[in-house]
Amino acid sequence: MAQQPLSSAVPPTDIYGGDEVSALVLDPGYCSTRAGWAGEDVPKSILPSFYGHIGSTNTNLFGDEYLIPREGLEVRNYMNRDSVVEDWDVAPKFWENMLVKRLQPERPTAPGKNGLNDDPKKDGEGDVSMDGATAEAAAEAQEEQEQEKALQENPLLVTEAPWNTSKAREKTTEVIMETWGCPAFWLSRTPTLSAFAAGKATALVIDIGGSNTNVTAVHDGMVLKRSIQRSPVGGLWLSSQIRSMFEHAEPKVALTPTYLIENKTPVDALAPAQARLRKFPFQIADSFRRYEEERVLTEFKESVVEVWRGNPGPYRAQGTEDFIKTQPGRVFEMPDGYNQMWREQRYRASEGMFDESVGYPLPEAERITKEQTIPSLIRAALEAVDVDLRPNLLGNVVVTGATSLINGFNDRLNNELIGMYPGVKIKIHAAGLTSERRFGAWVGGSILSSLGTFHQMWISRKEYEENGPGIVEKRCK
Amino acid sequence: MSQSGATVSQECITAFNELKLNKKYKYIIYKLSDDFKEIVVEEASDDKEWDSFREKLINATTKNKNSQGATGKGPRYAIYDFEYSLASGDGIRNKITFLAWSPDDAGIQPKMIYASSKEALKRSLTGIAVELQANDSDDIEYDSILKTVSKGLAA
Repeated sequence: MAQQPLSSAVPPTDIYGGDEVSALVLDPGYCSTRAGWAGEDVPKSILPSFYGHIGSTNTNLFGDEYLIPREGLEVRNYMNRDSVVEDWDVAPKFWENMLVKRLQPERPTAPGKNGLNDDPKKDGEGDVSMDGATAEAAAEAQEEQEQEKALQENPLLVTEAPWNTSKAREKTTEVIMETWGCPAFWLSRTPTLSAFAAGKATALVIDIGGSNTNVTAVHDGMVLKRSIQRSPVGGLWLSSQIRSMFEHAEPKVALTPTYLIENKTPVDALAPAQARLRKFPFQIADSFRRYEEERVLTEFKESVVEVWRGNPGPYRAQGTEDFIKTQPGRVFEMPDGYNQMWREQRYRASEGMFDESVGYPLPEAERITKEQTIPSLIRAALEAVDVDLRPNLLGNVVVTGATSLINGFNDRLNNELIGMYPGVKIKIHAAGLTSERRFGAWVGGSILSSLGTFHQMWISRKEYEENGPGIVEKRCK
Repeated sequence: MSQSGATVSQECITAFNELKLNKKYKYIIYKLSDDFKEIVVEEASDDKEWDSFREKLINATTKNKNSQGATGKGPRYAIYDFEYSLASGDGIRNKITFLAWSPDDAGIQPKMIYASSKEALKRSLTGIAVELQANDSDDIEYDSILKTVSKGLAA
């Protein structure tokens, strides 16, 4: 049946019934926080969850552009390493900075409403109903024209780790409804969204993130709580491996972040760096230096590190290292100009994700056990679910998270799974687009919340007011 | 209700009951309506040829909202009434199988919509014996599916 093209002049009439829902999606993580409009392919705003704090004036600076050498600047993070919000004073401000300041153009009308990033103050009633543009206004007649809040026109979907605490969920709900005045909201667990985005309602989701790796079974769109396995084997752990690798290299490799380099002269491979360091008339905080080092390491991970695929033999087997030494390596130039070829080391650094006995020595606190390697996580997750479900999960493995983009990761994972479950059909699904892998959960949330039908799912303001923040435990399971 | 909020039209249930109780159909293919709000019957057939059923899934298309209504590969749901005789010679068995077809090369948005709406359809149809997810043409070969459906007991 041919449909008449809709005239674009006619706004959707039901509440959020149209496909233009002006909904926002927020996906907070330890390493970065993603925010954007529902229905878009990639989040419009991506900020490091690290932020600058200046103690003397007690100000917080959000965004990469503020993370520069500066007197008294300390780098902090509002999340903890478990990807649960830790600092509830900063988190709402951080999010608001993204959702309002970075996503929405400054509204030309009513300068009184433009204090977008401040505490919303009561500003007399009046021109709230702007013009026909906000069709919701009519349908939401019961919503009094109360004080202007930051996000009164935008339903908001927030993602959360599957182990998020109920306290944190209620807190999030309060911020959304009380502080921002959103008309409706929803909380979604990241594995469900990643599975949906891969077209699967049932899947074993392996999310290799920045501070965490988790393996979770999702069945019919529900996270199976018992199956959740997590470990610190993620991007930051890999950084520690590389730090240790630099430490143990011959000659030792100095990790000098870019901001310290004033100028450098090219040098031959393995020759000492010829660089003049920049001097600052003030103290640079360790946390800032560490953050900057992490940038260099990220680049190293993206361009040099590779996962040993397992052919011709496992990495730990005798002769494998000698074999790799004969293979082409990769050159990396440090910010100070020092450069060298990396061969077997670039595999060894990542090998610990699969085999705890290989890898570079780490300080006690960062060492991992056999139970924390990815194969063990998968095994434990599967053992926690019904036997009948296991083949279905193994046939629908969804790999997501930026650290899974390391070269060779999926091949290795496939080989491991075939070795662990002989005779079972194993199929790994990993998005080809880098952005879908890095922002898998955000993309899932973006699509879900842009569906015309999703308007029945949102927890509305009315429902929230009748039930209080506890509603989230009942509805968002 | 499904997590997407999509609903199931009555005809889906009617057709399923015809298949289950009256053996009127061999298979039913379901899809989401063009506005993605409701699950409807695309085709109900008594054609016993697996390959034609399989072709229909492989060639299924859907609109993709993000690329200005261009059509691309589309996911589907299907009910197939498997009938097989037991290898042990103990007679014939029927298994009504629910198949969630989501080709890997379909657009991310249709895949998402189908995955998040599946629950609604599945709950409305009572009497499903087996449920399967399939993501590429290899996943819907008759022999391998029958093996799963019959738990390896088919002749």
